[in-house]
Amino acid sequence: MDLNMNDLNQPHSMGTTIIGVTYNGGVVLGADSRTSTGMYVANRASDKITQLTDNVYICRSGSAADSQIVSDYVRYFLHQHTIQLGQPATVKVAANLVRLLSYNNKNMLQTGIIVGGWDKYEGGKIYGVPLGGTIIEQPFAIGGSGSSYLYGFFDQAWREGMTREEAEQLVVKAVSLAIARDGASGGVVRTVTINSEGMTRKFYPGDKLPLWHEELEPHNSLLDILNNPGPEPMNI
Amino acid sequence: MSNSTVDVPLQGGFSFDLCRRNDMLSKKGVNPPSYRKTGTTIVGLIFQDGVILGADTRATEGPIVCDKNCEKIHYMAPNIYCCGAGTAADTEAVTDMVSSQLQLHRYHTGRESRVVTALTLLKKHLFNYQGYVQAALVLGGVDCTGPHLHTIYPHGSTDTLPFATMGSGSLAAMAMFESKYKEGLTKDEGISLVVEAICSGIFNDLGSGSNVDVCVITKGHKEYLRNHLLPNPRTYISSKGYSFPKKTEVLLTKITPLKEKVEIIEAGEAMEE
Amino acid sequence: MEIQRADKCVMASSGFQADVKALQKQLAARHLIYQHQHNKQVSCPAMAQLLSNTLYYKRFFPYYSFNVLGGLDNEGKGCVYTYDAVGSYERVGYSSQGSGSTLIMPFLDNQLKSPSPLLLPAQDAVTPLSESEAVDLVKTCFASATERDIYTGDKLEIVVLNKEGLHREYMELRKD
Repeated sequence: MDLNMNDLNQPHSMGTTIIGVTYNGGVVLGADSRTSTGMYVANRASDKITQLTDNVYICRSGSAADSQIVSDYVRYFLHQHTIQLGQPATVKVAANLVRLLSYNNKNMLQTGIIVGGWDKYEGGKIYGVPLGGTIIEQPFAIGGSGSSYLYGFFDQAWREGMTREEAEQLVVKAVSLAIARDGASGGVVRTVTINSEGMTRKFYPGDKLPLWHEELEPHNSLLDILNNPGPEPMNI
Repeated sequence: MSNSTVDVPLQGGFSFDLCRRNDMLSKKGVNPPSYRKTGTTIVGLIFQDGVILGADTRATEGPIVCDKNCEKIHYMAPNIYCCGAGTAADTEAVTDMVSSQLQLHRYHTGRESRVVTALTLLKKHLFNYQGYVQAALVLGGVDCTGPHLHTIYPHGSTDTLPFATMGSGSLAAMAMFESKYKEGLTKDEGISLVVEAICSGIFNDLGSGSNVDVCVITKGHKEYLRNHLLPNPRTYISSKGYSFPKKTEVLLTKITPLKEKVEIIEAGEAMEE
Repeated sequence: MEIQRADKCVMASSGFQADVKALQKQLAARHLIYQHQHNKQVSCPAMAQLLSNTLYYKRFFPYYSFNVLGGLDNEGKGCVYTYDAVGSYERVGYSSQGSGSTLIMPFLDNQLKSPSPLLLPAQDAVTPLSESEAVDLVKTCFASATERDIYTGDKLEIVVLNKEGLHREYMELRKD
């Protein structure tokens, strides 16, 4: 017996669903919250939407270690850049720094990143920086293992010039759809909305998400029922 | 390279001298030595006024228990402690190294260390070695920004959680946390939940065993409860005791006296050139 | 570890549980047939040979099981047989098998000082011990092996076989 270490020794990776969507006035980023090592869910409430500056956030996917180190470096560079420039960095600069690190170290890194944010020159922008380190400016971007379930959905559901509420609802719906079908995605849905006013975080617990085809109603754990000092626990 | 005959590392870091030799040996079918692994259960949780860390005390080498009462909760700073799982040498080395960096940082700044500082130093080192430094850590402490609990994986990724487990017994321990943890536990509730989680690792995971160590860190105060619980005493001791033969049988005794070696140094001339 | 018995013969096995069960079932069936055909219990040396044959029958796809067989021989003396997985066996004075055997065997060698099997003329391998001394030794062996072997533990079952019959004793071991 290998003491279960086979599984736990695998690199810590984020089988993920991440999404970025632009709307008329800003961007919405969305992600699930599952981090797994092999078959074990190492963290069921992780935060894959990471702050780079006040107005730029990224969604991380792939190896947790790699995406964290990339975002740590980019955050550091952007802070320096902001001080030298005397004003907030643009989304394009942030995305280009992510690309630079991803491309120059493409043999070492296993990470796909979506950069999203708002700046006064170009408004809300989404950039995808997938595995090889290319950069793609997109009106919406999807990433992670769960994204394969979403291409068709986005082709159908995405429209030019959505309102903020429409975009947020689209993101939550998409992530919950991917969670329903992708085993490596799960937990809660986190969103970050960035526009000229600043940013807002929202949190949608796993038991409050819409139910899709053949999904079951959330149930309390049997342990909760048994631990409850109710009169006749076995009658439930 | 210096031309000294003794092989002294100059700047620190690891020596790769035997890389090719050992590669040759392994190609010829010589197995590498087994390391002392702490097949381990380590846990941590945040309670109402701080952090509690817990660990079992078994260290194994393959199927053999090589230390029945080792310490897995390492000192990082007066207000920060760190549980280690994985290869014992790596957890020991990495925590010692970072704790000395923190000490120097405190001398430099004159301020209490922060948990995120320790976290960043640890993850930087582990990421550099791409998972070859096999240390899985649970880092906990209280600083000027409040209580913090983090897990660090061998590849250098980190998580921030209200309760965390690591090591081969992490699944058994996490089962206890997932069913019983709630926010705002008191100190006693926290300690008993940590003990329960470690015990579930000790009894259900073969790699974990022996005793329970606990460390409670609160604002400006810490309590290291070494061997807080001893749930596995020896089960049987023979009433009579056992005798062992003292030595190998002596077949022959012969003493050869050493000859004194006299060295004659001629004074004066030998020293000149 | 697993203990199974015939009247004058007990077997302790370790290894892969499913194979151990299959092997013991096979032996029990063969023993039953023997009883019907000969109207008597099988003797311990005969059972020892039967176990060897059963294991060797699966020489190239062996049962993953490591066995010790003990009982009373045809003269009523105690006998212990030790096996490997494919049926090589030997009558010895004492033996241990399984993951803890590497820890127990040297201690038994030290305490029981068995004569070398290479000595001529051959010497009796059985070290005289009283029953209580023997049981005490077994308990110490297991308590010690449990301290250091992660696969040994929980509970110990001791079967004592003598001319009065058979009785069992149980002892708690470490549970971690």
